[in-house]
Amino acid sequence: MYIITRNIFRFVMVVLFQVLVMDNVMLNGYMVPYVYLLFILLMPFETPRWIVLISGFLLGLGIDLFEHTPGMHTAATVLLAFVRPYILSLLAPRDGYELETFPRVHFYGFTWFLKYTLLMVLVHHLALFYLEVFQLQNFLSTLSRVILSSILSASTIVLSQFFVFRK
Amino acid sequence: MRTLLRFIQKYSDFLLFLALEIVALILMAQDSAFQRSKIIEVNRQVSGYLYSKFDGSREYLSLRESNSILVDENTELRNRLQQIEELLDSSLVLSEIRDAYQYQFVPTRVIHNSVYKQYNFLTLDHGEKDGVFRDMGVISDQGVVGIVLETSENFATVIPIINLDFRLSVKLKSSNYAGILQWNGKSPLYADLNEIPFHVELQEHDTIVTSGFSSIFPDGIEVGTIESFTLEQGNFYEIRLRLFTDFQGLFHVNVIRNYQKEEQENLEDQTE
Repeated sequence: MYIITRNIFRFVMVVLFQVLVMDNVMLNGYMVPYVYLLFILLMPFETPRWIVLISGFLLGLGIDLFEHTPGMHTAATVLLAFVRPYILSLLAPRDGYELETFPRVHFYGFTWFLKYTLLMVLVHHLALFYLEVFQLQNFLSTLSRVILSSILSASTIVLSQFFVFRK
Repeated sequence: MRTLLRFIQKYSDFLLFLALEIVALILMAQDSAFQRSKIIEVNRQVSGYLYSKFDGSREYLSLRESNSILVDENTELRNRLQQIEELLDSSLVLSEIRDAYQYQFVPTRVIHNSVYKQYNFLTLDHGEKDGVFRDMGVISDQGVVGIVLETSENFATVIPIINLDFRLSVKLKSSNYAGILQWNGKSPLYADLNEIPFHVELQEHDTIVTSGFSSIFPDGIEVGTIESFTLEQGNFYEIRLRLFTDFQGLFHVNVIRNYQKEEQENLEDQTE
């Protein structure tokens, strides 16, 4: 029960922080760090897959509601939740993940977390930005936006590990 | 039957993923202007409230800037008042006043703003209660901002120039040639001007103003200046405009009510 209330609280905080603070941070005019992915990134390793998927769906829906973009963030975040186990197993250390540990800098080190975050954010942003333009025209200019925004989001997420979620 | 059940069990996560993705894509596909307005209608109650609370702090932080802008505007208004008073005796004043009565400005605040997306929107804190309705023009003291899309009792959403769906008829201030203004989705500082024929003489830093052909904006509201232009193949220029309006710092804007709009539109409908 405690875990559920804590996660609902965290969910609400992440969405509000994204919409009220991060959406007002605009580097270079049109780049926004999407920090709300943290919620999916930091879920414990052994979380059942369907819970990750449903959380991804609700998280995306929550962001969409505030950004007036029905479906876009939802689709991208559900995709992110789906590929998470594959990315985790891709990056798994030789003996697998230990019990009682979480996907955080504190347990698996800076490089591991950076790789994990970059891959995850890249998947999400690829889906998000191409869904937004919904065409393959200007393929390269969209790609450059994906890459720049991914770097921005990933570095914000990694930084947050040192200030907010220290343990 | 059993194999089907086993199949579902084995791939349950993948099927759930597919189902959720399909729901998301349906949401996206149904995102017509109508759907969007309905969804916005619902969440405006929530987010409008949240944003207006949060905006208190943002407004406070930009007080100094707003003040100086207001002072500038005051001075300009006072100057105009002076000019009008001088005119009051002459008979010219009749037509001046009649024009002035065609438009009225509703002062509003921007409570939600996006500039980094392809389809940007603004939310204003005034709605139907204050006479803000669909298809009214929105300007700031810098220039044209956009057009009102949807309204509820207390809020309104605006399509700004920096939305891929935005189109506006504008003209060159110097020669009165009209063209179409639209955005290319790249920088919120620039927009494109099309359909200016090749024989028009252009210069960099020429001012572009609204044409007044539609009933949305009055004639001659400033939009931007020409940054660069090329004459590619074909008969039209490709012109890049530097917009006057700073969409990132947008705060106080005016909605334009046109009292003769219906009359003009009815007449135009009849003529067609």
